Amino acid sequence: MLVSDNLIELFHIGHQYQRPHWALSDVSLRVKKGDFVFLTGPSGSGKTTLLKIIFREIIPSEGQIVIEGVNILRIPDHGIYKLRRMMGIVFQDFRLLFHRPVFENVALPLQVLGVPPKEIRRRVFNALRMVNLQHKLGDPPAHLSYGEQQRVAIARAVVNAPKILLADEPTGNLDTELAFEIISLFREINKQGTTVLIGTHDKELIRHFGSKILFLQAGKLLGKDALPSPES
Amino acid sequence: MRNLFSVTIICLSFLILGIFWSLSNNLQQVAARLGENLVVTLFLNKDLPEKDALEIRDKAGRSPVIESLRMVTADEAKERFQASFPELRDVLANLKANPFPASIEAVLRPDRAGPDAVAAFLQSMTATAGVEDVQYNRDWIERVRSLGRLTRAIGLFLGGILVLASFFIISNVIKLNVLSRKNEIEILRLVGGTNTFIRIPFLIEGTILGILGGLVSLVFLAVLIQAFPLYLGSSLGALQELLSFRALSISQGLALVAGGAVIGWLGSLTSVSKFLKA
Ligand SMILES: Nc1ncnc2c1ncn2[C@@H]1O[C@H](COP(=O)(O)OP(=O)(O)OP(=O)(O)O)[C@@H](O)[C@H]1O
Ligand SMILES: [Mg+2]
Repeated sequence: MLVSDNLIELFHIGHQYQRPHWALSDVSLRVKKGDFVFLTGPSGSGKTTLLKIIFREIIPSEGQIVIEGVNILRIPDHGIYKLRRMMGIVFQDFRLLFHRPVFENVALPLQVLGVPPKEIRRRVFNALRMVNLQHKLGDPPAHLSYGEQQRVAIARAVVNAPKILLADEPTGNLDTELAFEIISLFREINKQGTTVLIGTHDKELIRHFGSKILFLQAGKLLGKDALPSPES
Repeated sequence: MRNLFSVTIICLSFLILGIFWSLSNNLQQVAARLGENLVVTLFLNKDLPEKDALEIRDKAGRSPVIESLRMVTADEAKERFQASFPELRDVLANLKANPFPASIEAVLRPDRAGPDAVAAFLQSMTATAGVEDVQYNRDWIERVRSLGRLTRAIGLFLGGILVLASFFIISNVIKLNVLSRKNEIEILRLVGGTNTFIRIPFLIEGTILGILGGLVSLVFLAVLIQAFPLYLGSSLGALQELLSFRALSISQGLALVAGGAVIGWLGSLTSVSKFLKA
């Protein structure tokens, strides 16, 4: 068996939401264990679609996708939880339980694992402290600002120390300073072994933190493995 | 509100099922009691000399199906009638002659009273001079039994339809509950919840609804069983025994509640599963 350090591999992925238009076409890429990757491109270029395909919310119209050597398109519906448990995901639209306290929202990934309550409390406090929200843990997201909601979503994504962190516009509603703080946090987590894939069109961030950059344009990945700098 | 609705529906269907069940219980019991003593009554010709009557008795006694025999004189028959229908005492007193015939009551041996043997006995007695008429209560038992079977069949049919209906109603009520928590289910799946983990609260909810429906229907049934004889009074006369409700046995009651639980569980299982894709 071939030993590889590829964590996420996409082969000729194409996706059509509606008939004539391809949201993604022929996207092939590899993400190695421990990588810190920005996925960028103009609005509508397919960043969110690509991320959704990776966490299997969307089954692509074409192509195959392998994560940790497993073809995730072959996982039956009742087995997807194993894939999701390796991942922390920050959704572009947050997907929080709007009327439940912040604490409960962040605790969800631990609760589904059956982590004991004491341990849950410890880890949730930690995660909330990382995003500067420890004082809001009793409030429902409905009472928080967009930026605060975004940070709740980030805390929930990292609370479980996942193998893979997928973040879709995680700084979209944050001021520059806070955005830098969040990406620095992701860097920290990355150093502890988590592979990070961030979808963003914030050129400032990419310029500052960018190591590996994937550039999407109208559903096509530019430059294949050779990653162009955003300026080019 | 929705939950109240589904409990009511389950309760109603089980109530109807239970009413028929209880009625058929009773009919079966009556049939069983009648079956304990198979009696053939030989009505004798009026003014048959006692000597001839005794001869008929002896002839009957030689049949292997007979357990015991008893002579009932015309006077005895009259007294019996007066005892069971005291209201009619005056009517009887106005009659000059005793209208009741003397008879011989033959109790059959249940172990030997096969259909052929009994038929042969009945035939030979009908053919005997001095015997006016032969009455055999097995016809009655058969009638009561088949009434019991019919009641149960109707009950199963109606109950079955209603139980099916309540299954769909529960499943739809749960579906509405699931729909209103669709967002939550999606999020749970996205953060790695297993299908079982997500299903459990809904399954518990459905099962509780079903059990509640079953229990409430048992309560109503008990009230009905208590109230029914009071309401009808004794106006039914002899029919009352046939129509009175007999309470369900403990195991029948448990079966009803368990049935509710199963319906609730299945109903919610089918409705949640639709939302556990992708
Ligand atoms: N549910 C959907 N149904 C139909 N078309 C869709 C759907 N979601 C996305 N699209 C289309 O797919 C293309 C890619 O969308 P996607 O959301 O992946 O872009 P994006 O790069 O994430 O954009 P943004 O930067 O604005 O978030 C767009 O043309 C969009 O109109
Ligand atoms: Mg997007």
